Amino acid sequence: MTRGGEQATDEELVAAVLEGERERFGELVERYQGRLVNYLFRLLRNADDAHDLTQEVLVKVYQVLDRYDSQYKFSTWLFRIAQNAAIDQIRRRRLKLVSLRQDDPEGDGRDWDLPSGERGPYGELRNRERGDAIQEAIEALPWEYRELILMRHYGELPYDEIARLKQMPLGTVKNKLFRGRQMLKERLQGFLSD
Amino acid sequence: MDAPDHTTLQEWLSLEADRCLSPDKARILDQHVAGCPGCRKERESYAALAALLDGARLPVRPDFKAQVMAALPAAGWEGRQPRAWSVPAAICLLLGGLAVYLLGHGAAGLSTASSALLALGGMVRAAVEAGAGLLNASWKGVGMVAQESLSSRTGLAVFGVFVLCINLLLISLIRRKTLAGRAGASARGGAGR
Repeated sequence: MTRGGEQATDEELVAAVLEGERERFGELVERYQGRLVNYLFRLLRNADDAHDLTQEVLVKVYQVLDRYDSQYKFSTWLFRIAQNAAIDQIRRRRLKLVSLRQDDPEGDGRDWDLPSGERGPYGELRNRERGDAIQEAIEALPWEYRELILMRHYGELPYDEIARLKQMPLGTVKNKLFRGRQMLKERLQGFLSD
Repeated sequence: MDAPDHTTLQEWLSLEADRCLSPDKARILDQHVAGCPGCRKERESYAALAALLDGARLPVRPDFKAQVMAALPAAGWEGRQPRAWSVPAAICLLLGGLAVYLLGHGAAGLSTASSALLALGGMVRAAVEAGAGLLNASWKGVGMVAQESLSSRTGLAVFGVFVLCINLLLISLIRRKTLAGRAGASARGGAGR
């Protein structure tokens, strides 16, 4: 929804929701659903889990919306909640995985299915390979680089917000993103020339 | 501005990929890249990486927003919002107005609005007095029950055990909360690393 042709800011939408315009929370959902789903998808490696957790996060955010401090950016707050939720989920899953591996020692632990862009059997295969390669390259990054890359590329957070979220100096964020990208490029070399 | 070294320029390429490079730095970078095949290749690889990562985006389910909106519970803060109070407040005002009108009409010899307000005040005072009386009686009742229970040794002992249990319960709850908080913090720290 726009006000005088301009899109309402996140903070204005939050204020409107808190004033009783519950349906305007839908605008926030629309604004962040893609970023959150993709950010969580890369962390959780499963599309259904990413959707479920995104919904959980958004519902939680709605429940505690009155605690949002507008001196910080809404997206910073939202992604902090999402990151904590993802870490909790990963921890729970690790515990589950230990017991599953004892039952199924042959399992490779892969439970993600990446979206397909190219059509046809060859295209499907190529997409799958590319998707797997991206996922593996991201997972091979040290955690401190990985989370920044995901926040930047899939969360689409600006540098200053990442710095605030991670409580790091801006220069460190820039440097880590630079190094993280170098590592990704090295690992994905074969796909960059496609 | 002094001419930046090659490493700095490579970092600028990363910033440029994020559209975070200032216009003056972008100009310097453009000039450098025009004469440096290595950096030109590097710039292309940044663009290719961004396209590769973007191409692997997961599409959001079409009904996702509707699902989220349907799942929204009644948040605690909703009851504290001014708009939530507007309907009950309007009803109270309406009933108050009606009461003033009826009392003003019904009371013999009280035809003016001030007399009606006085009558309403009297009614409120009577209600408050009745409430206070009821409260007083309730406390007296509680006092009598307590006196009765504590007059015997058995009653006193039961009361003592009850107080002890309540205290133990409180201590265990506080301990559990502290331990859970510590475990959560250490687990989060571990996952963060």
